[in-house]
Amino acid sequence: MRIEAVNLKFAYGEKTVLDGVSFRLAAGSLCALIGPNGSGKTTLLKILSSVLKPARGRVLLDGRPLGSFAPRELARTLAVVSQGGDAGYLFTVEELVSMGRAPYLGRFQSETASDKEIVRQVLELTGCLYLKDRLVSRLSGGERQRVSIARALAQQPRVLLLDEPTSHLDIGYQREILDLLKQLNMAEGMTVVAVLHDLNLASYFAGTLFLLNKGKIEAAGPPSEVVTAEHIASVYRTGVLVTPHPVLGTPHVFLLPVQRGLNSRKNYRVHVLAGGGSAGELLRDLAEAGYDVSAGVLNVGDSDWEAARALGLPVVEEAPFSPISPARHAENLSLVREAKAVILAEAPVGHGNILNLQAATEALRGNTPLFIMEERPARPRDFTGGEGERLLRALKQNGGRVINEKARLYRALRELNSGDQLNQLQNLPGLTVDQERVV
Amino acid sequence: MLLPALAVTLVLAAALGSVAVHPAVTLRVVLSRLGLSGGPAGIADIPASAVNIVWNLRLPRVLLGALVGASLAMAGTAFQGLLRNPLADPFTIGVSSGAAAAATVALLLRQLAGLNFPHMVPLFAFAGAVMALFFVYNLARIGGRVPVVTLLLAGVVVSSFLSAVISMLMVLAAQNMHGIFFWLSGGLMMRSWQHLWLILPYPVLGGAVFFAYSRELNILLLGEEAAHHLGVRVETTKKVLLVTASLVTAGAVAVSGMIGFVGLIIPHAVRMVTGPDHRVLLPASALCGAIFLVWADVAARTVMSPQELPVGIITAFVGAPFFISLLRRKKNEIRF
Repeated sequence: MRIEAVNLKFAYGEKTVLDGVSFRLAAGSLCALIGPNGSGKTTLLKILSSVLKPARGRVLLDGRPLGSFAPRELARTLAVVSQGGDAGYLFTVEELVSMGRAPYLGRFQSETASDKEIVRQVLELTGCLYLKDRLVSRLSGGERQRVSIARALAQQPRVLLLDEPTSHLDIGYQREILDLLKQLNMAEGMTVVAVLHDLNLASYFAGTLFLLNKGKIEAAGPPSEVVTAEHIASVYRTGVLVTPHPVLGTPHVFLLPVQRGLNSRKNYRVHVLAGGGSAGELLRDLAEAGYDVSAGVLNVGDSDWEAARALGLPVVEEAPFSPISPARHAENLSLVREAKAVILAEAPVGHGNILNLQAATEALRGNTPLFIMEERPARPRDFTGGEGERLLRALKQNGGRVINEKARLYRALRELNSGDQLNQLQNLPGLTVDQERVV
Repeated sequence: MLLPALAVTLVLAAALGSVAVHPAVTLRVVLSRLGLSGGPAGIADIPASAVNIVWNLRLPRVLLGALVGASLAMAGTAFQGLLRNPLADPFTIGVSSGAAAAATVALLLRQLAGLNFPHMVPLFAFAGAVMALFFVYNLARIGGRVPVVTLLLAGVVVSSFLSAVISMLMVLAAQNMHGIFFWLSGGLMMRSWQHLWLILPYPVLGGAVFFAYSRELNILLLGEEAAHHLGVRVETTKKVLLVTASLVTAGAVAVSGMIGFVGLIIPHAVRMVTGPDHRVLLPASALCGAIFLVWADVAARTVMSPQELPVGIITAFVGAPFFISLLRRKKNEIRF
């Protein structure tokens, strides 16, 4: 069933909650309403279900105004699952779900065999058949939610509205409920609209997203168009990274570290040679600790590149999936020379980025301390057929210090900073503490 | 199962009293009067005094007790379901007081001003009940819900106020005080067939309305929003049921004064056995309420025989401890 909203406005007293919401949702859509707290999601859902009357504007179901439906007719057309599921604690599950047949029964009519069969089917579909004689008060949160959905399905609606059907549920139940809704949508062509809090669940679940902000629809469309870093940053006022779900390709939102104020700056340049997602955490920790961090050479789109960009760090960047060009290598070398310490992250080494190892030798040549991260030495990381391995070994033999956990790196950097006597440290035998681990 | 129990109760209760009549004799009197076993000739061997006691004194009283008990239990069931509040009953929410105050006014008007018309007392009682309900409901409502605590508080406030009104009326009409007092304290004594016919329409019609709306009552237990989503016209249904419950209460109060706790304990006890489905709960409560009040009245007649107690005292002795135990239970155990 097609749902249209035309310029909906609603206010609780003085407080405007919806400020001109219009949309058109095709029949058989699977739609999630997302948005920050207080953006008007639940109010919109209540207007769509006719619990609240909009101050202005109207809702049309297949072109027919919502207000023209008689209550029982509407209950046969549209069903609602409210947050936390149904009350009715003293009823059994079967009794509760049977109430979904009420819009089809006359005042003195009792349930017919076909009503009972429908109840049995929806109990089976929602996986609640084994619960049918249980009291509603004895159900867990996930079970209650499923029973509520079964009750709504017993109404045989063409539109199903749900308010946060997954809140307070663990990830297993969340998935179960969303998959059930998806299945109903696919199999029956039921139009499903759900308020969802979790952006990633919403992207995983819905074909259409409405992003609400301050009573207006900020963005509408498929997840890839709605869940973008720009939209999320402006609506939720927080920096995020949006990357495709590794399997599904739907957008997935990650929190990003925030840049700190300048007062904790140490005015101490650290250059990180990274790539392949080896240094995101490292970059964040260093930036948060107040070091002037630079990074290179990173391919655009690489997750280390994303991290550095989010942190606002200077980066030598190369085109996606391209080998490091001489020009970028030269830039990288100059950053290495400017740094007071250079860190070689535990990145895989291939023909494309072997120049990053070359750049590390430049640090040793300039007497700059070089820290070689090796938290997982057992993992193969040389994909150059021996060349990378040889270079690494040379770096270690010529004064590169092997670090096997980040905490040690940070301690060493602190010591460097407080002493600020590079030469002195350089001469300390301790600089090569982990010599026993050198191959 | 409850129907035979009620029949046995009626016969036994008609037999018991300060002058005991054997139950078998009682049964024969009743059956013959109903034209079921041989007519007047069949009871020729029974003394006329015994026939008189059974047929003209005991039986109307017992039947009236049954009707009042059924009325109060049904009204209590409806109030509890509608307000989703397990401590609601006509007495606790002030509806009985409203009915009583208005009925007192009607009695005084009749005696002092000579005003009279059919069903005058019940209709006054009904108006009083609806007004009291209106006040209590609006006082107790917080954001569309009627929480236990505010409902009881509002009920207490309105009841106290109305008691004061009743006391004032009784002082103003000092010479008629005794009769009103006796009626008010909740008694079934001195009741005749006439009273029975007077009250009969109220529980019968009310019961029919309740039963017709029993599915809505069930659905309303899910909350008003959920009921709306299931196609129930919530506001209309609430009005119909609240007015009906007030009417049924008013009928009971008009003939028997203030009998407390029946509407509270009977629905509770029955719900424990039948569950919350009003299609079963309502008739079962009505029958149990009838049985309970008839036996309470037997106790009222016989405990201090030949002195009679108002039956309201007996129900209060039984009901108050029950009420306290309900209050003491954890809130989530008595939720619907």
